[in-house]
Amino acid sequence: MDSVLEACVFATVFCGFLGIILKKNLMMKIIAMDVMSTGVIACYVLVAARGGWFTPIASGRGEPVAYADPVPQAVILTAIVIGFSIQALMLVGTMKLARDTPTLEIDEIERNNTP
Amino acid sequence: MSPITIGWITLPFFLGFSIYLLPRLARHLALGMALLSGGYGFYCLLDPATVTLQLLGNFGVTLMIDSLSGFFILTNAVVTAAVILYCWPTDKSAFFFTQVVILHGSVNSAFICADFISLYVALEVISIATFLLIAYSRADRAIWVGLRYLFISNTAMLFYLIGAVLVYQSNHSFAFAGLGRAPTEAIALIVLGLLTKGGIFVSGLWLPLTHAEAETPVSALLSGVVIKAGVFPLVRCALLVEDLAPVVTVFGAGAALLGVGYALVETDTKRLLASSTLSQMGFLLVAPAAAGTYALTHGLAKAALFLIAGNLPSRSFQSLRQNPMGRSLWIAMAIAALSIAGMPLFAGFGAKALTLKGLVGWRAIALNGAAVGTAILMSKFLFLPSSSWPDKGDSLPSPRARPAELWTALGLLLSGLVVANGTSLDSYTGANLVKALGTLGLGGLIYYFTLQTVTLRIPRGAETLEHLIGAMSLMLAALFWMVLT
Repeated sequence: MDSVLEACVFATVFCGFLGIILKKNLMMKIIAMDVMSTGVIACYVLVAARGGWFTPIASGRGEPVAYADPVPQAVILTAIVIGFSIQALMLVGTMKLARDTPTLEIDEIERNNTP
Repeated sequence: MSPITIGWITLPFFLGFSIYLLPRLARHLALGMALLSGGYGFYCLLDPATVTLQLLGNFGVTLMIDSLSGFFILTNAVVTAAVILYCWPTDKSAFFFTQVVILHGSVNSAFICADFISLYVALEVISIATFLLIAYSRADRAIWVGLRYLFISNTAMLFYLIGAVLVYQSNHSFAFAGLGRAPTEAIALIVLGLLTKGGIFVSGLWLPLTHAEAETPVSALLSGVVIKAGVFPLVRCALLVEDLAPVVTVFGAGAALLGVGYALVETDTKRLLASSTLSQMGFLLVAPAAAGTYALTHGLAKAALFLIAGNLPSRSFQSLRQNPMGRSLWIAMAIAALSIAGMPLFAGFGAKALTLKGLVGWRAIALNGAAVGTAILMSKFLFLPSSSWPDKGDSLPSPRARPAELWTALGLLLSGLVVANGTSLDSYTGANLVKALGTLGLGGLIYYFTLQTVTLRIPRGAETLEHLIGAMSLMLAALFWMVLT
């Protein structure tokens, strides 16, 4: 089961990466990057769940349970926030570019803006 | 030491936002921060002990400060101070200075952190602040150049994150030292992220356009220090983990040659300087033990050259050859260019001697070749004509020139170069002197007799966004192969 999940996670990362290369539209490239980062986040969640699935909150009673590792979860929370803000910045930049290049075709943007 | 360090590393972020609330004090606060970092950097250099801090327990933030960090912090401080002085009288808004201070702080944190997640956060904050600085003018081209930079660095950092979690999985810690015990794919992914961020070899081909199209002070900042935030962790890891050193030095040597080759065909001053940064980062990486001095001398000289290039009447070498520049500007340019080329009496000599000293075999041949190449590149600047009475009408630039501030900034950077030379007096041996002068002379002669008349062109197809991203997959495959064997 574990390896199937791992394969799915890496397939997501790979699909996202291919999307970044193959999609011609800047908007689609940004969405593909989001897919890739979803894969990376899933990777962290998977690693955190290696030892168990329970929420790592000490209840103070009852027998110890196999709880998930809180460290990768905490770390990926930071990475999600950073990824989100970068995504927002890129979308604002794209909005500005869309005024002169409404189709957002990457070739056209590059032709217009490279010296 | 530890309260001082924590206070110093958090201060720029508080100051950055205070500047936004107190726009009148923007310039003073920003300059104060840079000077404070300069003091801290000196302190690190004078105190040779390595300080390791573990904050917030075992899984928290790890910091490591030694004289290597000290050199990088000092570079950051001097270049930032010079850029702030350069921008002092301009109508740049408080927003600009906020970003400069936040960038300064995040680059400093990249120079002292010793775990992969703190490094990730620092590098991402650097990306955001850099994007905002590049796109400051809000012209379409600036936005595109910034967007391209953000896109490439974010994709690289996604690979890096996967590598970081694999390191955690095998060590239950994100510390740099765990890289040695991590699986090969973790090493390949992390090194790919850092190579892209630090502009090394093929992964660094995004750099010439980004650094050349940014505004003059921003280019100086980017080429002077920001790029080193990606190289520093590689140097640090190569020193901590023995297996990594051969991989990293191969890329260093490749980058030194590729950068020189790329820069030789440039006809534009700023693009040439940016491509030369590509090769200088290779020099930095090829001898991790000497990286500190090299980073300092390169940072100061390159920032000075960018500030001068921004104040020349034209960016094209062709037209600069026809319009002589002022004599004093030429002398300042010559000092910076000679230092990069490794001329004795300037700090670049000691740094280059130290870098080339420990090399053996093909790496020594490659790097000496790259050193001759650098001398040829700098001859392009040295052979530009100058006149003592520049014709105010058309040869002196432009609305951009603000002589007093340009000279304050240049004075700071160039005096840094001469002072830093004083620390490397033991490099002044006969063999080193002969070698440095020979390299310079050979470079100058090659330029004078052949390249001055020949113009080559290479296609820039590799610099499109899709090819840059695609090159990451090739680099990843190459890294896998290198780490496995």
